[in-house]
Amino acid sequence: MTATTSPLLNAALNALNQVILGKAHTVRLALTCLLAEGHLLLEDLPGMGKTTLAHALAQVCGLEYKRVQFTSDLLPADLIGASIFDPKTTTFQFHRGPLFTQVLLADELNRTTPKAQSALLEAMEEKQISMDGKSYPLPKPFFVIATQNPQSQSGTFHLPESQLDRFLLRISLGYPDPAVERAMLQGRNGRQLLLQLKPVLSPAELKALQHLVPQIKMTDALLDYIQRLIACTREHERCQVGLSPRGALALVRAAQSWALLQGRGFVLPEDVQAVFVAVAGHRLVGRHEQGEALARLLLSQVDVVGVNRAA
Amino acid sequence: MGCPMNKTITYSGMLWLLAAQFVVMLPFTLYLPWWLIPIMVASVIWRLRVLKGYSAQPNALVKTLLVAMGVGGLVLSGLPFPSLDLMLAVLLLGFAFKSLEVVQLRDGVIVIFLGYLLVALHFLYTQEILAGAYGLLGMTILTGALIGIQPAVTVLNPFETVRSHLKLATLMVLQAIPLMLIIFFLAPRLPPLWSLPMMPGQTKTGISERMTPGDIADLTRSTELAFRATFKNTRPPQAQLYWRGLTLNYFDGKTWQQLPEDYDFINFKNQVKGEYALFNKNFELRGDPIEYEALYVPSGQPWLFTLTPTLNVEGDVIRAADYRVMANTITQSPALIKASSYPQTIRDTKLTHTMRHLASQLPQGSDPRTHELAQRWWRESGQNVERYIKLILHHFRTQEFYYTLSPPLLGDQNTIDAFLFDSRKGFCSHYAGSFVFLMRAVGIPARVVVGYQGGKWNEQGNYLAVYQYDAHAWVEVWQPETGWVEYDPTTAVAPSRVTEGSDAFLAQEEGLLRQSFRAVQNNLPWLSSLSQQLDALQYQWQRWVVGYDHDTQANVLRKWLGDFSITTLTLVILSVFVALGVLWGIWLGLWRKPRLTLEQSLMHELDQILAKKGFKREPAQTVGDFAQQVSSKQADLGKLLQQFAQHFESLCYNPMANKADTTQQLKRLLKQLKKAPITQLGRKIAPLKPSRISEG
Repeated sequence: MTATTSPLLNAALNALNQVILGKAHTVRLALTCLLAEGHLLLEDLPGMGKTTLAHALAQVCGLEYKRVQFTSDLLPADLIGASIFDPKTTTFQFHRGPLFTQVLLADELNRTTPKAQSALLEAMEEKQISMDGKSYPLPKPFFVIATQNPQSQSGTFHLPESQLDRFLLRISLGYPDPAVERAMLQGRNGRQLLLQLKPVLSPAELKALQHLVPQIKMTDALLDYIQRLIACTREHERCQVGLSPRGALALVRAAQSWALLQGRGFVLPEDVQAVFVAVAGHRLVGRHEQGEALARLLLSQVDVVGVNRAA
Repeated sequence: MGCPMNKTITYSGMLWLLAAQFVVMLPFTLYLPWWLIPIMVASVIWRLRVLKGYSAQPNALVKTLLVAMGVGGLVLSGLPFPSLDLMLAVLLLGFAFKSLEVVQLRDGVIVIFLGYLLVALHFLYTQEILAGAYGLLGMTILTGALIGIQPAVTVLNPFETVRSHLKLATLMVLQAIPLMLIIFFLAPRLPPLWSLPMMPGQTKTGISERMTPGDIADLTRSTELAFRATFKNTRPPQAQLYWRGLTLNYFDGKTWQQLPEDYDFINFKNQVKGEYALFNKNFELRGDPIEYEALYVPSGQPWLFTLTPTLNVEGDVIRAADYRVMANTITQSPALIKASSYPQTIRDTKLTHTMRHLASQLPQGSDPRTHELAQRWWRESGQNVERYIKLILHHFRTQEFYYTLSPPLLGDQNTIDAFLFDSRKGFCSHYAGSFVFLMRAVGIPARVVVGYQGGKWNEQGNYLAVYQYDAHAWVEVWQPETGWVEYDPTTAVAPSRVTEGSDAFLAQEEGLLRQSFRAVQNNLPWLSSLSQQLDALQYQWQRWVVGYDHDTQANVLRKWLGDFSITTLTLVILSVFVALGVLWGIWLGLWRKPRLTLEQSLMHELDQILAKKGFKREPAQTVGDFAQQVSSKQADLGKLLQQFAQHFESLCYNPMANKADTTQQLKRLLKQLKKAPITQLGRKIAPLKPSRISEG
């Protein structure tokens, strides 16, 4: 099973890496998130290539892509759509908003009011929209990439923990390496490549791959490790809020997805370690440090095999 | 788990402390100022009001004032300055005030631990069986309080909570009993490291060192126990039970005392020890011994009471020239002796000059009428001592002499004259004193002996209980052929005093109340049998629990363990405790090895092998990662390690893998890794096969 899938995924990764230069790990995480049918939260400063990544991801998978710029005056109807009276049929016609797409880039999610935020987050959870007593299912797959400015910036609405929990992974791109930056400055612009990007995966193939994720095997030894990690987040003295069961499920799902991307039919501790910071970073609340730093700290303290007691 | 526990003591916890402190402090009111209890109760109530929000926690100034008032109270209470009583009172004061500042759990724990100490300290005052039972109760309540002050969420109602705490506490105390028994039986009985100051609460009781007519009457009425005795073979008849305590030689016309001068105990001990009669074999052993054991109630005096003459004795005692047995120190704890007396022995075949001098002394020019009478009788008897004595006793018997416990006063001078010729009413002291006077008046050495006569036989316990009302005075007369011989002039006047015991005799004297009490006792045999049983129980407690000293311990252990040395005993005790400690440790799981799974043990082995080669894997590092890290430094080793990592991953994380094969592979790889050499800076330390080098 993996033997056939890995070339496909590798091709997708290669294509993405051509657009997003020097961010192999982040790109892989983004794809992991897509495969695991989770939503992705990109946290970064403006101009770091968030939109490019989202667009490329949609392009490579052959998915319909829409982008919504979230502003402070955005209303839920701007996202969902509205029922408008049609004088010809004398009925109300539902005009679908930009939410009805396969890949939605919700740009600068924390710039909008909690009301608009919650409209999006509800759609993410239910995968359908209710309007005037009728349900409208969202297209499949429905993948939201939300970007967020670092919260210290002014004019932002802090996303509460409960809503952060809806995102499977949170990643940030960060500044490029000097070598990569030089190449970029020399004119190898990802944006241009983006237009030439051919779909590598068909939606059907993507769907098949997504179905494979839960089938990736996990042994007792691995689950022991995962449970040690989770227990550590809950018991560690520097942790104020540990991983919820939903967070634990997210960790498992992401690790499986990562293993699939590696072309393996079973999960290794490496896979868990690779996704742990992205899964736990926005879910943990530390007493002293930010969630991400805390996640790294915990990761370095939990015994992989369990020879020594967990710290 | 993560949240900090609330460690303040709750309302119910304070109530527990109140109960425990009350139980602990209550018995001390018998010996120390009673107002310490209200202080404690007030402190607790203050604290309770603080908890309810009615009062504020007292600040440092208020606390200092309160403590100063408490200390002032102690000063005013008149306890002597350097004394155990005062130290204990200060401790109790602190104990009472401490509840005012019980806020945190640890404060409560301090109070309770102090309580345990106080329960133990109470035994300084009394070691009776009831005190023991009360101590056990105190321990249980304290343990209950220790449980009660712990912060806990409970679904039980208050009544059930109290019951469950007490149940647990009782269980804990019961669990401690085996350890207590081990310590009781085996722990070495060490002599005290320092001696306690004399407790004023425990005044001197028993026989007085002086005999002034009127003295013993007070004592005779006391129903307190003096000592108990058991006999090994046969019990001597009641009339032979003269328990000798002190001999009084010096008479100043009014008072009989031991020596002309006052001596402190140490000097006195040296004085009597210096003329150790037994050492010089100044006696003639005759007849069969009476073997007995006596356990004395602490009296605050060194005098012990033994049958005449006691020649063999075991215990912490000294023996004096006048055949008396004394405790080596003032008795503050029950003293036990084992002794045998030979009643037919002739004592002092030769009378030393000092002794003769002492036994013949009379005050100058006193009691002329008695001197006259003595001379007359001496002549009448033809200077025969035996006939002379008979004359005297006959005189007591036939003339109007009365035995009474409330005799008239005899004035300060010529007291013997006043008694013999005028009042003719008196008790043992009067008769013994005038008898000795009459003897000395004609030059016969004689002395007054004080002690106890008779005692009450306890059928249940097979022992003799001697009470203070058995106190008696009699005389000893020395003659060259017979040595010292005992005479009891009181029997001439009141024979029933000796034959029936002073208890019966007192009943006739003391009137209705005592008579009716006796009547009740006689008509309700079960009541007297019950009281005898209780007394027997008390005796066994004194004899075996309180009196379990070094010697008894040695005997008991010899019986159980056969011959042993103190070293083996120490070793046995030590090993028992070490074994208990080890068992406890095992139970706690201190040495329980974590049970490793196959992959964990493999990993452990790998870690050890590579640690020897200088590579340390972080616990959080995966094998694959580690292999890469090693590869960057040691290519050969890294290659092996990467193989290991691959197999290890499939063993642990690939459910499809063939476990047996992989395990074998891993074990093989481990062996290889063990043997693999380490290169330094690209050069191999150990010579290797050429093929290996080309591989690298």
